[in-house]
Formats: sequence, structure tokens, C-alpha cells
Amino acid sequence: MSAASAPLALTAHLLVLSSISFGGFPTVLPDVRHFVVTTHGWMTDQDFSQFFAIAQSIPGPNMILMMGFVGWKVWGIPGAIASSMATFGPPCAMYFAAYRLWYRFRGAPWQPTVRNGLVPVTIGLVIASGTVMARAADTGPAAAAMTVAVATLMLSTRLNPLWVLLAGGALGGFGLL
Amino acid sequence: MARAAKREHAGEVVSLGALFASFLKVSLFGVGGGGGLVWARRIGVEQRQWITEGEFADIVSLCQFMPGPNIIGIAVCTGARLRGARGTLAAVAGFLLIPWVVGFTLGVALLQHAHLPVLRNILGGLSAAAAGLLIATGIRMLMPHRGRAAALIFAGLAFGLMAVGKLPLLLVLFGLLPLSIGVAGLEHRRAR
Repeated sequence: MSAASAPLALTAHLLVLSSISFGGFPTVLPDVRHFVVTTHGWMTDQDFSQFFAIAQSIPGPNMILMMGFVGWKVWGIPGAIASSMATFGPPCAMYFAAYRLWYRFRGAPWQPTVRNGLVPVTIGLVIASGTVMARAADTGPAAAAMTVAVATLMLSTRLNPLWVLLAGGALGGFGLL
Repeated sequence: MARAAKREHAGEVVSLGALFASFLKVSLFGVGGGGGLVWARRIGVEQRQWITEGEFADIVSLCQFMPGPNIIGIAVCTGARLRGARGTLAAVAGFLLIPWVVGFTLGVALLQHAHLPVLRNILGGLSAAAAGLLIATGIRMLMPHRGRAAALIFAGLAFGLMAVGKLPLLLVLFGLLPLSIGVAGLEHRRAR
């Protein structure tokens, strides 16, 4: 594949993947890895997992950022921008269309039924992803205690979450977690 | 749905700048997977009261069933709800533009120092706290539904299959949904 067509191929591939990434972009990460590492050899496995770790720990749109790093590796800044846009463009169009539909049918008799079925499942999944994250982050009893303390504090007070994030980062930085 | 709009200073239109600024905050403060959810709820529902708890749950649910990075869907839908297509553009721009430039610059710099232990410790502490925040947000979202036994059961099932059973998300979603909506339908019929 010639140098000029690499960024095009990557962007086209990401456009397709972002359109089918049901359940969030992480579900198609294995496919991205296969495409850029195995099929095309644009980067090493180590590059790819480093991009993941860094994107996860920087605040902001993680997966869009991660695809930015991937595009950057292939074609510098223009590649980074093209890859990022391919990651959020198609899903944003879909969110917009779906919400317009949902809002147009507000008050329709089927909507409370669908809502009452939908929302509890969503909430269960939110709490689940919190505990899945906790399992990855809590490498020892001190970190686990931190997670539990934060959850309790947030439920019982109106404290700004920024303070607990700062506290977590500081305790971690001093090697206490 | 008009309730939230009325609460917003009796019909005063939310400015595009306020949407931009709020989703900039949501994006910058959201650390780790799902971090944006914590802030979107805190700012949109609690502080600005742009949307109700119920509308927020609707939006999150809707986004969950579509492809892509779900958190940006909250920006798309909240923007659309308050100011239509222009609101969506303002919210998405706030969510992406500055955080992307900052994150990208920071990331490229960090990639040169990825193995410093202090850096990794700080990131570890941050993620432990972020996990606690996300769990608390989920429990807060559950509170309005605590009177409905079926809601608690399906929330518990979704949690269990995902966190304990470690089943793939798609399987959990499309396995539980027909059941959950079916039960809700039966409840409605009985109530009528």
C-alpha cells in the first residue's frame, strides 16, 4: 500500500467500525488492533497498548483521543484529526437522529413502557462498569478502600467530585494506594 | 418534558455558550471510562437543572443502544433537547475541541515518559477514585426507581450478568431488554 493511501484506508476503516461499535468504541478495539498492527504493520503491539493506557488516563474523550494517537502514528497531525473525526462523526449523526425520533414521540403510550424496561437495565450496566473499573484500578486494599470511601462520600454529601479525584491522584502520587 | 424547560428561568433560552462551557467541563473532568457520565449528570441535572433525572436516564439509555463513544451522545442529545441542531453543535464542540487539543498534546508528551513510576501511581490513584464516583452516580440514578420491584430486579440482573457473569455487553443488553420491556408492558396493562 502506498504512503498516500494508508491514512485513507485507516479513516475509511474507522468510519465503518465506529458505525457498528454497539456498546461503545472499546468493543471494536480488537479489530482496530488487528487492522493497524497485524494487517498493515503501521505500529507495534506495544505502541497500541501504550496509546490505550495514556488515553484512558487523560481526562476527555478517551477513545476519540486514542484513535487520534493511532492516526498520528500513521500520518502525523492530519492523520490524527481524520481518525478522530471518523470515530465520532457517524455515531453523533445517529444519536441526533435517534433523539429527534424519541422526542417526537414523547407522550406516545408505548414510551413509558419502553422507558420502564430500558432504564433499569442501563442503570445496572452503569453500576457494573463502575465495579469493573474498580477491579482494574484497585490493586490493593488501600485503593479498594479509596473506591468505597469515594462512593459513600458521593452518596451522602454534595461534595464536588473534583476534590475526591484530586485526593485520589495525590494519595496515589505519594505511593499510599 | 416541558418541566425542565420551564424550570430554566421561566422560558429563558439556554445560550449556546453555556452549552459549550458545560460540556467542556464534562469532558475535562471526566477521567476514566464513564467519567463523563458523572459530570454530565451533576451539571445537567443537579446544577443547571436543564434536564430532569428522568430525561437524563432516557438519554443515557438511548445512547447505550447505539454505536460509538456513548458519552458524546449525552452532549448530542442534551444540545438537541435544549437548542436543536445548533445546540448539538455547541455541546459537541465544547466536549471535543479544547479537550482534544489539550489531551493530544499531553498524550504525545506523556508517550515519551510512559514508564515513570510517580506518573503511574498518580494515574492509579485517580482511577480508584473515578471508579467510586461512577458507582455512586449509578446508585443515584437508581433512586427514583426504588419503589418498582421489577426495576430493581432488572438493574440487579444487568449488574450481575455484566460485573459477575462477565458476559459481553451486547448479549446482556439484547437478552434482558425484551424481558424487561415485556414486564413493564404487563405492569402498564394491569394498571389500566
